[in-house]
Amino acid sequence: MNVALAQSASQGTRVLSYAGALLETMDAALARHTNVFIMGQGVDDFKGIFGSTTGLAEKHGAKRVFDVPLMEEGMTGIAIGAALAGDYPITTHIRADFSFLAMNQILNLAAKYRYMFGGLMSCPMLIRIVVGRSWGQGAQHSQSPQATFAHFPGLTVVMPSSSQAILDMYPAIIARHPGPVISIEHRLLYNLDFTVSDTGKHVPLGSYVAREGTDVTVVATSVMVLEALRAAQYVHDKAGVSAEIIDLNSISHPDWDLVAASVRRTGRLVVADTSWLEYGVAAEVCRQLVVRDPRLLKQPPSLLGMAPAPCPTAKSLEDIYYPSQHETVDAILTQVTGAGHGIPLPVERSMTEGYKRFRGPF
Amino acid sequence: MKDEATYRRLFRTALLIRLVEERIIALYPSDRIQSPVHLSIGQEAVAVGVCDGLRPDDLVFATYRSHGFYIAKGGRLDAMFAELYGRTDGISGGKAGSMHLTAPQVGLMGSSAVVASTIPHAVGAALSFKRRGSDRIAVTVFGDGATEEGVYHESLNFAALMEVPVLFLCEDNGLAVHSHRPVRQAYRLAEHAAAFGIGSRRLEEGWDMLAVREATLQAAAKVRAGAPFVLEIATSRYKEHVGVGEDFHFGYRTSASVDAFKRRDPLIVDAALAKALEPELEREIDAAVAFAEASPAPGRPELLTDII
Ligand SMILES: Cc1ncc(C[n+]2csc(CCOP(=O)(O)OP(=O)(O)O)c2C)c(N)n1
Ligand SMILES: [Mg+2]
Repeated sequence: MNVALAQSASQGTRVLSYAGALLETMDAALARHTNVFIMGQGVDDFKGIFGSTTGLAEKHGAKRVFDVPLMEEGMTGIAIGAALAGDYPITTHIRADFSFLAMNQILNLAAKYRYMFGGLMSCPMLIRIVVGRSWGQGAQHSQSPQATFAHFPGLTVVMPSSSQAILDMYPAIIARHPGPVISIEHRLLYNLDFTVSDTGKHVPLGSYVAREGTDVTVVATSVMVLEALRAAQYVHDKAGVSAEIIDLNSISHPDWDLVAASVRRTGRLVVADTSWLEYGVAAEVCRQLVVRDPRLLKQPPSLLGMAPAPCPTAKSLEDIYYPSQHETVDAILTQVTGAGHGIPLPVERSMTEGYKRFRGPF
Repeated sequence: MKDEATYRRLFRTALLIRLVEERIIALYPSDRIQSPVHLSIGQEAVAVGVCDGLRPDDLVFATYRSHGFYIAKGGRLDAMFAELYGRTDGISGGKAGSMHLTAPQVGLMGSSAVVASTIPHAVGAALSFKRRGSDRIAVTVFGDGATEEGVYHESLNFAALMEVPVLFLCEDNGLAVHSHRPVRQAYRLAEHAAAFGIGSRRLEEGWDMLAVREATLQAAAKVRAGAPFVLEIATSRYKEHVGVGEDFHFGYRTSASVDAFKRRDPLIVDAALAKALEPELEREIDAAVAFAEASPAPGRPELLTDII
């Protein structure tokens, strides 16, 4: 399944899965920079972090790519120490939930080192964490902590929503970014194929327009960008509604001018995030707009995120826990044509129906 | 037979640390230093003995109680006072203060006020050294209380598994704030280290700078050869946990507990040498304080720099 917006693969493009893009960038980083190493639970096993590190230990050696004991805080502290000594560590957490054990090192140390020491110390490093969804991930394999991390000055937080975003951002981060970066990858994206271009317009470390439109601005993150793109196509086909999709992409340092300029044109806003709304990305988007100009919005926005509860395991509950295609389409139509728009909603409840290939376990 | 030149070198640095902290005590009521201070008075011999037993290019990772290690590793005194004063010419432009001294140019790689949090950093630096085939070592300095934190155990396990050149240096002053060690620990540090196959040594004579230096030289040699090591040094905190006063009147410990140590403390016992060195060291401190006094306070232009 090729979910890229891209038309059929044309010159200079190829099809590459999200996991494939990760594997390529990890491989290239190891080849290009002798100070790069990758450590994490299972990075050198046959599953290789869902195919994103498979074979790299064999290719680059066990000193560059290695398994670690179950020690999230210790591993992260070790990465900081290695970074302080001149290495560029890449660490992995197969679920974001497990990175919470490393919060002390991430929030109290990595995020602080440059500022707290007046610029004398810095720990450039990449922390890759994976968000789970679907196939009964439950309360502790499903959390999406972008707002938590982005709340803390000193951290750079990105959520690549496509293979292209990985190909464009990871090499730049690893080669040049001066501080710790947390990349929140979505498990449901791993097995998806995207059309990528090695020459095209690069996905920036900020935000970008994923689809141009004139009637409503949809600000989305990670897998919700794909949900939003689908919904945009649907409302275009069924109702002639033109939705502009902005992939926030960089959660800690979005391009707010881009968002504000879009909303200034459309006057209407939908935010579609992978996490809770409370104190989250949606709240921040609204804050950014309101402090610029409270009249940017013609009407109250529609905000989509996880239901305000821990994630339930039962499929019937999980299906209504995440914003569905129904709700995404409904939100866009409601913004443009008002509640009771009467336009039929898509049959598919959500894109998870389309993620048929994901049959767990993790 | 003690090596007189080495003794005098170590003594001088230890005395400098003590006089610096005594100056901090004198200045504190003036509120020129507006930040918590964790004094190492009583523990100076550990810092000077350890740093002298290391190579200059070995890295040290430290804690909020690190005036001693900062000075012993060779950090600039004027920049330190300016840092304590919160001034632009401070080590970190005033953003760090007493609890976060650093001097990367001489190998002090930051200090953290979150107990035990720099322990894995030394392991990580040691991992880097090993990866590069370097013969430098990394040292993590922490208190007895820090060994209770989970990350200490994680760090020992990883260091042993990967055989990285890291020295775990425990300054055992027997206290974590006001809690005595026996009520906090169900393990013995040496046996615990042994469970990971890590060698260890406990030095009771923590007042003896030469003994600390010798123990460090021996431990560092083992570490440099690729075996992590735990060196535990018994020492004594004369002052309160944080702040510039004494705390015997609170009743949780007696002055007798430190008196035994003081009777052997060379900075007290060797009063003649101390007296001889004092004027010169005080002049050095005067100059550092004057430097701090003259340095401007940071403001708006500095508030939002060096974040990412
Ligand atoms: C993670 C954490 N828990 C608690 C504290 C509060 N605290 C500050 S110092 C300290 C005692 C630490 O004792 P020890 O490691 O023996 O060092 P010492 O102060 O004796 O040098 C405590 C509990 C802290 N700073 N960090
Ligand atoms: Mg202690």
